[in-house]
Amino acid sequence: MLRFLAKKLHFLQLLSQNSEDKQESKSRESSQTSLSRDITQNLKVLKDILGPSNDINIREFSFGYEEKVDAAIIFVDGMVEKTTINESIIKPLMYDSHLFTPKESQTITTSIDLIQRSMISVGDVKKVDSFDELVDDCLYGDTVLLIDGSHEALVISTKGWESRGVQEPKTEAVVRGPREGFTETLRTNTTLLRRKIRDPNFIFESMQLGQRTKTSVCLAYIKGIVNPKLVEEVRRRLKRIKTDAILESGYIEEFIEDAPFSPFATVANSEKPDVIAAKLLEGRVAILVDGTPMVLTVPMLFIESFQSAEDYYSRPYYASLIRTLRFIAYTITILAPAVYVALTTYHQESIPTPLLITMAAAREGTPFPAIVEALMMGTIYEILWEAGIRLPRPVGSAISIVGALVIGESAVSAGLIGAPMVIVVALTAITSFVVPAQSDTATMLRFVLTVFASVLGAFGIMIVLLGVLIHLSALRSFGTPYFSPLAPLSPRDLKDVFARVPLWAMFTRPRTIGWHDPQRQEFRLDPHPPPEESEK
Amino acid sequence: MPKRRKILFKLIIFIIFILSIAGCWNRRELDTLAIVFGVGIDKAKKPGNIEITAQVIKPGEMKSPQGGSGGGGEKPYWNLTSSGKTIFSAVREFTHKSNRKLYFPHNEIIIFSEDIAKEGIRKYMDFFIRDPEIRRLVWVLVAKGNASEVLETKAILEKVPARNIAQLIEARAATSQASAVRLQEFLTRLMSKTTAPIASVIEITREKKEKIARLIGTAVFKDDKLVGYLNKSETRGLLWVIGEVKSGIIVVKSPGGNGEVSLEIICASSKIIPEIKDNNIHIRVEITEEGNLGEQTSAEDLTSLPAWTVLERRQSEAIHNEVRRALKKAQELNTDIFAFGEAVHRKYPELWKDIENRWDEYFPNIEVTINVNAKLRRSGMTTKPPKPE
Repeated sequence: MLRFLAKKLHFLQLLSQNSEDKQESKSRESSQTSLSRDITQNLKVLKDILGPSNDINIREFSFGYEEKVDAAIIFVDGMVEKTTINESIIKPLMYDSHLFTPKESQTITTSIDLIQRSMISVGDVKKVDSFDELVDDCLYGDTVLLIDGSHEALVISTKGWESRGVQEPKTEAVVRGPREGFTETLRTNTTLLRRKIRDPNFIFESMQLGQRTKTSVCLAYIKGIVNPKLVEEVRRRLKRIKTDAILESGYIEEFIEDAPFSPFATVANSEKPDVIAAKLLEGRVAILVDGTPMVLTVPMLFIESFQSAEDYYSRPYYASLIRTLRFIAYTITILAPAVYVALTTYHQESIPTPLLITMAAAREGTPFPAIVEALMMGTIYEILWEAGIRLPRPVGSAISIVGALVIGESAVSAGLIGAPMVIVVALTAITSFVVPAQSDTATMLRFVLTVFASVLGAFGIMIVLLGVLIHLSALRSFGTPYFSPLAPLSPRDLKDVFARVPLWAMFTRPRTIGWHDPQRQEFRLDPHPPPEESEK
Repeated sequence: MPKRRKILFKLIIFIIFILSIAGCWNRRELDTLAIVFGVGIDKAKKPGNIEITAQVIKPGEMKSPQGGSGGGGEKPYWNLTSSGKTIFSAVREFTHKSNRKLYFPHNEIIIFSEDIAKEGIRKYMDFFIRDPEIRRLVWVLVAKGNASEVLETKAILEKVPARNIAQLIEARAATSQASAVRLQEFLTRLMSKTTAPIASVIEITREKKEKIARLIGTAVFKDDKLVGYLNKSETRGLLWVIGEVKSGIIVVKSPGGNGEVSLEIICASSKIIPEIKDNNIHIRVEITEEGNLGEQTSAEDLTSLPAWTVLERRQSEAIHNEVRRALKKAQELNTDIFAFGEAVHRKYPELWKDIENRWDEYFPNIEVTINVNAKLRRSGMTTKPPKPE
């Protein structure tokens, strides 16, 4: 069975490789690699490459004081700032062309330098001589200026399109802390990060991924803190992605993660610049992808899911308490239905007698065995949850009332489901939101545990838990043990696991990640009274 | 491929092991269980047979429906009886009457009727040790009368008589005038060569035509046969010696001679020290006790030092008397309920080998010294009784 699947996969892989090769050769055939000196020839080639799309604007014009020179600008409508084109490209060329007085000695090549230097009033202008590069830039919102007689073209940065502003992220709301979140625009996102970390060693490395989407991907790290081998590894894994589309950072995550078949994510993501900045400062590498507000960070640790940005903004006692609560909630959310099923079907002797009576009374007359109840309620809850996400706002409340009534009140009063099971499912539902980063694995684990509990009781639960624990300890994320600092145990890093020690006591960065520059701050930073002046 | 197949093979082996080491298990839904709360064992009409009464709760009735047809209704329990030559066969016999399988782990009491206890109960205990469902924490009782009748008594504050009786046993610590014996301890005593088993005694009293269960005194066994009972004060005498007195009230005469004083026992401990004097075994019992002044009916001020000392002396006298009475009764019955034999065994293992089989001859005549060290600590919320100065 497995071998059959593997063969199938291999076949598909070959197929896709084949077609990729074909596409590449085709696109290479149709394009000349470098520009010629003749503008009409260049425009013809360009039109050929860009096709008949109506969003591509080609504006031909001529300029010059004594001698007219033919020129053309090419841009994609909607992706450019038109005012920049009008005011800073066309206007100076047309009105101020008296400045453009090529002397006899100057060739057209040097005159394009002149235009670039003294006429185009835009910050970012570069010279390009190949069609590939020219087209890439043009499709990313830049304006191409072609001048007759030059084998080079000017690419003028005029990027500007409709985009969502910086808003509070919906998924990671905080009570205390910055409310800004990343947007879909890569440049905005890098800005948000740069504003947090004004360090020349903070480096953005950009690359393009996806043969068709040409998505800009940005690798961010802080030189000096990060382990250079880690950056090298991330770069290597990104470079080997040869696919046609990267539409979201999830695409990249799947191509670069360490254990693609593990239910646990080994790449973390966040929408909040402060979270990403903190992770960068611990020695991680961030991967920003154009078109999505979700930024990836590697390596990821299991306990990272239990750490929230607010832990570091509120005072340590409360933060530690909440941290502990999250561990408890996670335990409840994966274990509650399984333990309930195990207790009621195998270990009735370990339920306190009065509780047993209450539970037995609730079970009296219900038609399904406990395991069926558990799976049924679990499934119904997941359906409600999934439906709830996609619901249009105005319908939401109506549906949630129906859902609550159906799975809560009516199922019990109709005698279909025992009341304790409703409580258990409600409890798992609520607790699953406490650790959002692990909620998807928690759901899967919960179902597996419940099934095992129904077959083997508490013994089954132990088997699954041990299996998961072994798996977690064996997982690695970009060379870092996934379960560290618990396994392997590094006692000094326990400062930020179950309890969060005061910030002035966190001298060092996490050992497994930020070992390159381990010291975060000076020692003895805890608030204390000034040293007493020497007595007179 | 062969490597992968090897892993698969290992996985299958593991799963087989995992499934088989789970041992004795069975999936049972809550609504297929008849939860037993109490077991009574009587003589059956047919000679040589026994009759078992199992008190099974009806969970549906246990939870009184809110607003619904409250009051009246059916009893929340069901007393099933069945008979057989052995306990196990009688227990299995229940399946002819009950659609659900009897579930014993939540059973709290085992009641033997007086008749059956007098004949000897060793043969019935085997099932209770062997069966994995029975807890060793079950209370063992002897009913004056029929065990099945005790399980029919009216429980006013509880819904199930068995649970009521189990809680009576736990509540007896307030007086320490009734024994509380768990199955584990009963078995330990039963399996000892010299120590006599004891059990709680439950009897039925009639109040306003209602049958009420009453827990008082101690049943004393010789070997495995019931031979007699200890009354209230004898029971406490026994409990003083074996260190089981938790609390209770000692009533003594007021030092002024006018009225009574109640002293509350706060804590007590004991030591049994065997000694050999002039080739005779001699037992010294050391009892340490602390009490509080709980009530006085006399008008005098008892917190003065002389009165306090007198009270302390009377308290230790009272304890002394109780122990003396228990001892006398035990020696009359020739039952070593105090486990003196075990104490001798521990201290003089060599000597014990000789006298072990003749302990019955030694015990009735054994000399026992009782040293009571009773203290009086506090006088409650006030020092003086309520009277005008």
